[in-house]
Amino acid sequence: MGAYLLRNLCQRLVLLIIVSFLVHALVHLAPGEPAEVDPNNPRFKPEDVAKIRAAFHLDEPLHVQYALWIRDLLNGELKSFKDGQPVLPKIWERFLNSLPLFVCATLIVWTLSFPTGIHAAVRRGSNYDRTTTFIAYALISVPGFFLSYLVILWVVNTFGVPVIGMRTFGAENASLWFRSMDSLWHLVVPSLMLAVAGVAILSRYVRSQMLEVIGQDYVRTARAKGLDSDAVIYSHALRNALLPFVTMFGLMLPELISGAVIIEQIFAWPGIGRLSFDAILARDYPVVLTVTLIAAVITLAGTFLSDILYAVVDPRIRLS
Amino acid sequence: MRIKTLLVFTPILLVGLLVQAYFWVPTYEDQIAGDAQRLRKFVEASIGDAKLLNPALHADSASGKIVDKVFDTLLDLDENLQLRGRLATHWQLTETAYLQILPGASLARGVLSDAPTLVAALRGAMDDGTIDVPPDLLTDIQILPARTLNLVVSDAADSEVQEQLLVNAPPRLQFTLRRVDQTFFSRLRPVLGDNYQQQADSSDWHRPVPDAFLQSLRAQLPVFEHNPEIEFELRRGVRFHDGHLFDAGDVKFTYEAIMNPRNLSPRTSDFEPIKSITTLGSHKLRVVYKRLFSPAVMAWAAMGILPEHLLNDAALVQEMDARDLAETARAAFGLRDSQFNRKPVGTGPFRFAAWQSDEMVHLRRFDDYWDGPPIYHEYFFRIIPDTLTREVEFRTGAADSYNPEPYQVARYRDDDRYRVYSSPSSGYTYIGYNNRRPLFSNPRVRRALGMALNIDEIIKYVLYGEGERTTGPYPKTSNFYATQTAAVPYDPEGALRLLRELGWVRNADGWLEKDGQIFEFNLITNNGNQKRRNILSIAQDAWKRIGVKCNTQVFEWAVFLQDFVNPGDFDAVVLGWQLGIDADLFQLWHSSQTGANQLNFVGYVNPRADRLMEDIRREYDPQRQTALAQQLHQLVAEDQPYTFLYAPRKNEVLDPKIVMVADDGRLEPLRADRRGELYYFFSRWRKLAHTPQF
Amino acid sequence: MVADGSRKTRLTAHAESPWRLFWQLLRRDRLAMTGLVVLLALAFIAVAGKATTEWWVVFDPTTVRLVDKFRAPLSEASALLPKSDRPLSGVYLLGTDELGRDVFARMLQGAFVSMSIGFVAVGIAIAVGIVLGGIAGYYGEVRFGPLTVDTLIMRFTDAMLCIPIFFLILVVVALLPASIYNIMIVIGLTRWMGITRFVRAEFLSLREQDFVVAARALGLPARRIIFWHMMPNAMAPVLVTATIGVATAILTESALSFLGFGVQPPFATWGNILADGKNFIFDAPWLFFIPGLAIFIIVLAFNLLGEGMREALNPKLQRR
Repeated sequence: MGAYLLRNLCQRLVLLIIVSFLVHALVHLAPGEPAEVDPNNPRFKPEDVAKIRAAFHLDEPLHVQYALWIRDLLNGELKSFKDGQPVLPKIWERFLNSLPLFVCATLIVWTLSFPTGIHAAVRRGSNYDRTTTFIAYALISVPGFFLSYLVILWVVNTFGVPVIGMRTFGAENASLWFRSMDSLWHLVVPSLMLAVAGVAILSRYVRSQMLEVIGQDYVRTARAKGLDSDAVIYSHALRNALLPFVTMFGLMLPELISGAVIIEQIFAWPGIGRLSFDAILARDYPVVLTVTLIAAVITLAGTFLSDILYAVVDPRIRLS
Repeated sequence: MRIKTLLVFTPILLVGLLVQAYFWVPTYEDQIAGDAQRLRKFVEASIGDAKLLNPALHADSASGKIVDKVFDTLLDLDENLQLRGRLATHWQLTETAYLQILPGASLARGVLSDAPTLVAALRGAMDDGTIDVPPDLLTDIQILPARTLNLVVSDAADSEVQEQLLVNAPPRLQFTLRRVDQTFFSRLRPVLGDNYQQQADSSDWHRPVPDAFLQSLRAQLPVFEHNPEIEFELRRGVRFHDGHLFDAGDVKFTYEAIMNPRNLSPRTSDFEPIKSITTLGSHKLRVVYKRLFSPAVMAWAAMGILPEHLLNDAALVQEMDARDLAETARAAFGLRDSQFNRKPVGTGPFRFAAWQSDEMVHLRRFDDYWDGPPIYHEYFFRIIPDTLTREVEFRTGAADSYNPEPYQVARYRDDDRYRVYSSPSSGYTYIGYNNRRPLFSNPRVRRALGMALNIDEIIKYVLYGEGERTTGPYPKTSNFYATQTAAVPYDPEGALRLLRELGWVRNADGWLEKDGQIFEFNLITNNGNQKRRNILSIAQDAWKRIGVKCNTQVFEWAVFLQDFVNPGDFDAVVLGWQLGIDADLFQLWHSSQTGANQLNFVGYVNPRADRLMEDIRREYDPQRQTALAQQLHQLVAEDQPYTFLYAPRKNEVLDPKIVMVADDGRLEPLRADRRGELYYFFSRWRKLAHTPQF
Repeated sequence: MVADGSRKTRLTAHAESPWRLFWQLLRRDRLAMTGLVVLLALAFIAVAGKATTEWWVVFDPTTVRLVDKFRAPLSEASALLPKSDRPLSGVYLLGTDELGRDVFARMLQGAFVSMSIGFVAVGIAIAVGIVLGGIAGYYGEVRFGPLTVDTLIMRFTDAMLCIPIFFLILVVVALLPASIYNIMIVIGLTRWMGITRFVRAEFLSLREQDFVVAARALGLPARRIIFWHMMPNAMAPVLVTATIGVATAILTESALSFLGFGVQPPFATWGNILADGKNFIFDAPWLFFIPGLAIFIIVLAFNLLGEGMREALNPKLQRR
């Protein structure tokens, strides 16, 4: 197994390098200039524009720019075009803001999907199954921002509580308990919106996996032997159905980052989705490239972890 | 069984935990009613985050709003647009003028022999009235001896090519004047003669150089040289937010920071004409300019003063040490990299408290402010990028101000819970035609296109009446706007007539055609601005009716600039300018500013206009300057390089409980200054617990 | 099977073709059938819409009527309008927008554009996916130096999967000129990865099957084997992915419009009508809800159909 993992790791590193090349080349072949050199601002003159171009190496050949980027990145000195502040601390700060959102959304997705999916599989064809099926499809089909606005307006009109932002303003003087609860509440609606599509898709997947497993011979045998139905489903069938989800876990993070771009924009959440979106608009090359690379790193790490878990759980892999 | 229980209870527990948080959160009503502290905070919602909180470096409006509260300028304009001292208590404009002695040059009468003779001749002419120099103008004439200088001259065609030159410059006369007088040297004509300047021949002063360098040489050794001077007297006892006393060194440092090429300041063009700044003691400063530059004083009115003790070389080295930077980073470290830009310290009415990126900027009032502390204790600048949620936050009291879209203004006006404050803005929206393209090179074509547009209807329906027609390049809020200029009338028939005279006739499909080509072009604008997109549709429709085919497209801002505006590669654009009250429009309309990345991107060239703009820059008399500006306004209006559309009104919706405290303590409703700037009086704003009756 | 005369078991003369079986199963799924019917109706509306808004102009989506801004649905046109600007029968079926344009006409025009974006994007994704997957599956062992074709293609696919999809689309769309073709191409070029994996997996298993081995033994050209014999058998999962892919493409286009990068005027898609309409929730709610509901319906229909197809194609999920 050690050899398998080592090979896997090496392959992933190679992938990472390929991704960094792809992304770097992509961004630099694009039209547009960094937003600092905004000539619509009557204060800028062409001499200023030229100076900024030189300061940011925009006139060097492509491979030299790439090398400079990697060097600055590894030195921790890569600077954003927007305000000259180092990129990594900025991304880290924003990532920490987004982390509660991702964690909460993931928790919601995974804890809600399993019971609903399993129950739907067990009670296949019942009203429960049909209702949840329809709701799941409906949730997948609604445009994310459409649903978000509707929910915001409903909550504000009905309950009169704030939902935008990370915390309520003017409450700095309140006690720690209130402030924590306040932050928790502000987390609820955005992470729910982020989780909606995930819950729908995952619960469908759980259902189909369970159906597949339930249909197998050994389950029929167990039932025929007279074992308690719940024990059969939840102890035997579920364990075998779980295998594919191990791999899925690693792949869910890129979806979260993608979804966060819109959700964070709507809810004024100062996270990594907004940072990347603003950076894309402003052609802030260092930030865009670094965020993409970090997303790729995390995905690769996640899938690598999944592969390890998979190998641990499934003896067939270990022995191959 | 246990697994099932676990599976069912975990989500219930999670959801329960999340939802119970709702009960601890104050509703909007609770926030406003129950919390006295809330009244002392002003929360502003913005679409974008600030970038650099440094007056020398910032270039966006969000940073500008914060910088205006944290920093002070030397002077500014008061509510009636008169200059008012802030960090400066007095300022005096004088001038030192220099005249080169050209031995052997022919004067009005006779030939110039040497300096003392000329001085005597001039004094004599002044005494007997031949030369009109009022006694209050000239205080002193000095003879400066000849000197040897090392100059760097550059090639007229390629400024990169340079040479060092040793020059034996002739003696000069130094005239000390009590005020700036751009006509001074023409006053001396009766003695100097009419072509004194033209007789300058520098070939005796230096070794032979190619002709290409002579232009640069002459610019550095002019025959007539004006050096306006401003002497500032600074306010005493002003402290920075960290307690340090403000003095003249800070002003000098601010200038040096702006001009330092490493800092890449966008303000250099405003301060480039400065020849030198000298501190005369701790609270006195003399600024000498290289040439006549009338925007000089206003430039200081727009520049916040930086604290030298926190940003000079010693301080930067300390910062580099504290941050433990590597060698390469240290070599490149400059003002732009300092943490000061994220934690500014100034002398202004509000002091910096915190900045959470992309979330908010928090300022607290500065209790020791020299002009008295503002009434609001705290100021929050919240970043809410989405328009709808910004409105939701305002309507529920989590933000204190809102800029409504034109179609929303009527709704807010009718609503008693809010008050709408309307003021003119100093900017305008226009359709710019690429004057270089053959299709648009004739002013009558441009005029015809403007006549086909019903601009009043645009103002009525797109702006909902929240705007006014504008006719030319100056903002309506300024005196430079020539109100007598007639607007282009809405006359589609007239437009067709004009175009027919120029050879455009309708063809079988209904389009105008000339020489086998139909009148077709592309009209583009940037996305993110709904009003401009609406104008695209309206213009396309209006022009279709007179047979002009217009294809519209919207581009993302950075692409729009990079691919179309900057290289001058477009047919027509819909854009807007946001201007200050400044007579100087050189950068926008002068023929020298038509290159790539410059602001006269439509390529407007008119020698008469050029001369007017150059004169305006040299004109110090406000009345004469205004007259010149109005002439320029009329001229550009006639040429129609743009179709000037409208000047939008600025609307701000605020809680009616926000009022202003007058000097005598009485409460009065909010109002804007003469420029239309509502926030001018922000330091005097106060929020009451109940809506007052006036 | 033994013919014993009873009616319960019968010896069929020929096996059911897999397609007929598929169709019978699909027919029994009511939700999927509803989806299919809705889609056919919408396809008809789309074509009719394009016809009536562009070829024989019955409903004109571009006419600006400043006098009649923000009119509610089913309101009468103003008497001030010239004859040529009046809508059909003088009534605005779905109201007007902020420029007085007829919403019904714009929705008609948008139907075709939205659907064509979906179909073209998915078409591109399928084309690329089939080509790459087929090559990887069939020619997988061919070596170029140290790497096999299979490794090359799959590593490239994996690298693309590491980057958050929507984020990637955003980066590319933000940097390219905004045209409808660019958006179609970009959405298509970021969705082929799943199809490649499916096709490769199918080809790998099909390759060992008897009919393929026989075909190769007979000396049939590879091209014929791939396209004529193997491809039709591999198409099933591709079709399902394609159907759901169209739904996703339409949702992606609306998300891009929300962020400001969607299709530009004069093209109207349901996505950009919705994005423009979000500003008017308080003043003209029909501009928000009508396109939102329309998108919801069409995406739901595609999803239901796709899921129905997936269930019908997967024999393991059938009741025994």
